[in-house]
Amino acid sequence: MKHFLPLTWLVVAGLVAGTASAQMTDPEQIVEEANIASYYAGDDGRSAARMLIVDGNDNRQRRQFTLLRKDVVEGGDQRYLVVFSRPADIRGTVFRVEKHVGESDDRWLYLPALDLVKRIAAGDKRTSFVGSHFFYEDISGRGTEEDEHTLIDTTDEYYVIESTPKDPDQVEFARYRTWIDRETMLPMRTEYQRDAGEVYRRMEVTEVETIDGYPTGTEVRMEDLDSGGYTVTQFRFSEYDVGLPDRIFSERSLRNPPRDWLRRD
Amino acid sequence: MKPLDRMTRDWSGGCWRSVLTALLVIAVLSPLKAQESAEAEDPWGDEAWGDDPWTGEKAGWQWYGFIDGATASRIHDDPAVGDDYTLNETRLQLEGERPIGDYTATVKADVWIDGVEDGVRGDLREAALAGRLTERMDIDVGRQILTWGTGDLVFLNDLFPKDYVSFFSGRDDEYLKAPADALRLSWFGDVNVDFVWMPRAAPNRYITGERLSYFSVVEGRRVAAPPEIDPRERDSLGRDSEVALRVYQTIDSVEYAGYAYHGYDNQPSAVDPSTGEAYSPRLTSLGASLRRPVLGGIGNLETAYYSGEDSSGDDPNLPNDQWRFLGGFENEPFADFTLGWQYLLEWTRDHDALVANLPAAQRPYAPDEYRHLLTNRITWQLLRQDLTLSLFTFYSPSDADYYLRPRAIYRFSDQLTGTAGGNLFGGADDWTFHTQLEDNSNLYLRLRYSF
Repeated sequence: MKHFLPLTWLVVAGLVAGTASAQMTDPEQIVEEANIASYYAGDDGRSAARMLIVDGNDNRQRRQFTLLRKDVVEGGDQRYLVVFSRPADIRGTVFRVEKHVGESDDRWLYLPALDLVKRIAAGDKRTSFVGSHFFYEDISGRGTEEDEHTLIDTTDEYYVIESTPKDPDQVEFARYRTWIDRETMLPMRTEYQRDAGEVYRRMEVTEVETIDGYPTGTEVRMEDLDSGGYTVTQFRFSEYDVGLPDRIFSERSLRNPPRDWLRRD
Repeated sequence: MKPLDRMTRDWSGGCWRSVLTALLVIAVLSPLKAQESAEAEDPWGDEAWGDDPWTGEKAGWQWYGFIDGATASRIHDDPAVGDDYTLNETRLQLEGERPIGDYTATVKADVWIDGVEDGVRGDLREAALAGRLTERMDIDVGRQILTWGTGDLVFLNDLFPKDYVSFFSGRDDEYLKAPADALRLSWFGDVNVDFVWMPRAAPNRYITGERLSYFSVVEGRRVAAPPEIDPRERDSLGRDSEVALRVYQTIDSVEYAGYAYHGYDNQPSAVDPSTGEAYSPRLTSLGASLRRPVLGGIGNLETAYYSGEDSSGDDPNLPNDQWRFLGGFENEPFADFTLGWQYLLEWTRDHDALVANLPAAQRPYAPDEYRHLLTNRITWQLLRQDLTLSLFTFYSPSDADYYLRPRAIYRFSDQLTGTAGGNLFGGADDWTFHTQLEDNSNLYLRLRYSF
């Protein structure tokens, strides 16, 4: 299916938005740009986040944390520091990740009650992040090279990409479809399917704000259609290009989190 | 298993009082219905963004804590201890934190009604000031919990105080580490250095016979208080000080560390022959460790040499020198399922001299020259991590004994957590490390409300 946009509209949109609204046709390029837009805005970033976790029986849990991120290579390796402030029994827990594209991440967890720096086996990235419906991979990104991508539709608003895993044994899905906003290149909806095409898991970005020039999903909802449970994550006080030094992504920050950098201005 | 009359006595007796007391307090503290109706208006409850301690920097104290009730019942009669319980308590922990300039002050104190020791007890676990001294140096001064090394519930170079009484009797894992009064300086550079000075010795909270029975080599049987083990204190400020040092760095995902310690044995392992009094002898140790990703998991190696006061090993009243070696591996073969394995070797030096100089009656109880210990940890998280099932096993082929720690933790909500588990000891010979604790084998239940 093809869409022909009037040339004048394209030129105007290009001038107004300053983004690449010209129609892209290469799925690899679209996915790459969407990955950059979602996970690599700026050279670094800081954000407060809170999660509302609702299970199928309407039991509610909450998580609150501050997230610091720094890119080692644009579109490649990254460093993360996640400092939890709620709930009470998780408060003070710090999670540090050295993300390596194409190989296992290094992950550490600091448990303050025991003063214990625990190193975590890289393991499965498609498991719950702190008990929410989000997976580790949803938080820090899935390697674009891990799936085959096909552009199955281009609408006025979205590129629709279907992705199938190169190694199906490593994941719980048969394929997933992503609706990528042509304006911002942000994935606005992702639906995970089983073999028969049944959708069992859905991610939706429900709020977008432009922060420091970068369109940012500030409210994201992840639904588990099997159980009816869902998690809503809100990001607030996000900032990019704050100049986070490399040294704060270290064991020092586990015992003694870098207050100057966690504090919102 | 217990005979039926014991079981019924448990139900009618005071065993559940701790848990019930906690339940009652929780019921008062937790107006769930009110919370639910409020949530309909604001799904985030009272979670305003402004009260995040990291982002909305606040003056004054922030208070957190929990109240819990726990009971642990012995599964055998213990002829040495006249108590059916190793644990029976209602506990309040309060933790306060406040910024003081660029520093953070922390206080953490526990108060509990103890049904085993009959009375109200308290424990100041933290009272410290921490922060950045310079661009490259952190300081943490006061009462604090200190941990380092690569072992999982096995310690070689971590000679900071442990509380095995709490650990064995059914308290939460957090209580395995006892607090120490210390000055900790951490320097960060091409190589990172941690220096810890404890102005007076910080021994373990060891088994005295008060709550748990143990094997007495003097009497040749399992005993308990009275008389309580009452070793000579090492509490002279300065003269009884201890220092611990760690030098470490991570290079290409590999964590290297070197350790040194100069202080006293954490256990009262020596006897003064003139008075018969137990005391903690001098102990100096040197060690190293390595931790790195390997075969899709995490592998670790650690070694330590313990050098004591008896270099030739021929004094039966002093422990011999020891080499310790540890190898470990942990991975996640399936989603939310982790498996950990460890092998520990304790090699007692000058073993022949040790045996030759022991009184004949105590010879059977002498440690083996090579003590082997294997551990296994299975952790399985279910129900999106609301339920954690785990089993930690210690098994020593040389001592022919074991220690099992099965546990289930269920998270009812962010506030309410329930834990059921056990501490099960057994083996061939009454005097080995784990078998001596056999009569303390217990099953426990804990309910905790966090706020």
